[in-house]
Amino acid sequence: MKAAGAQPGFRVWDLVVRIGHWGLVGSVAVAWWTRAGGAEWHERIGYLSLALVALRLVWGWAGTRYARFSQFVRSPAGVWRYARQVWRHQEPRHLGHNPLGGWMIVALLLNIALVGTTGWLYTTDEYWGVKWVDQLHYALAVSLLVLVALHVCGVIVASRRHRENLVAAMVHGAKRPPVGDDVA
Amino acid sequence: MQRRFHTALSAFALAATAAVIAPAHATGLATCDSGDSSTWQHQGKLEKMLSQMKWSVRQIKVDGGCYEVYAINEKGQRVEAYFHPVTLAPVPLNPKK
Repeated sequence: MKAAGAQPGFRVWDLVVRIGHWGLVGSVAVAWWTRAGGAEWHERIGYLSLALVALRLVWGWAGTRYARFSQFVRSPAGVWRYARQVWRHQEPRHLGHNPLGGWMIVALLLNIALVGTTGWLYTTDEYWGVKWVDQLHYALAVSLLVLVALHVCGVIVASRRHRENLVAAMVHGAKRPPVGDDVA
Repeated sequence: MQRRFHTALSAFALAATAAVIAPAHATGLATCDSGDSSTWQHQGKLEKMLSQMKWSVRQIKVDGGCYEVYAINEKGQRVEAYFHPVTLAPVPLNPKK
């Protein structure tokens, strides 16, 4: 294992991915904390979230290698194989998102988009105050929090298994270079 | 380094869980000293009163001891207004903090 503090040298997450990630972390947190009371900041944050998701989607086609959906979205069979490997503690280390994490990214982006869209809908004349929109917006927010919790669990498990600080990697963008069976 | 990282993550997870399961509280937009809800007038009565004012009521919730009404008013504008559940009188919003 590398000595603590040594700089890992393999660039994985580009600036757009990292800013998008932490921007969404902040947006979701602030949106949750402003859910009651002053609607002004809650709405602004909602639009910011939608913009960040849109940027991430574009970047999923136009971004650098590990930002692209084609790099990390795997077939159901591939995901199943990887899940069984995780169960047996035999999964290879992925430099980008692993197959389970990849689908988590898709689910998180989709869920954020749906929360943002239903929130915006609630502010239109047509759907203003309509109860099912209100309830759907809240249910989607709760499902997003559940996904976030699972995402954090996944990050903890992968960090432990591969002895790598994935949170730090999402901050500075670099990881330990690939060796052996690692999937780069 | 690993241990510190996991301690930080655990602390974050705990804080996040606490924030999430904390009970939903009143919005603080308005408050009514309205006593027990058994003394309140029915929401249906408020709705009837507002529809006579040509409001289209979308939803009525309880917030801060008041009835919180989402509606389109007689001018076609979106409104979120508060009413006292006993008197059905309009309740002014608290001044912004």
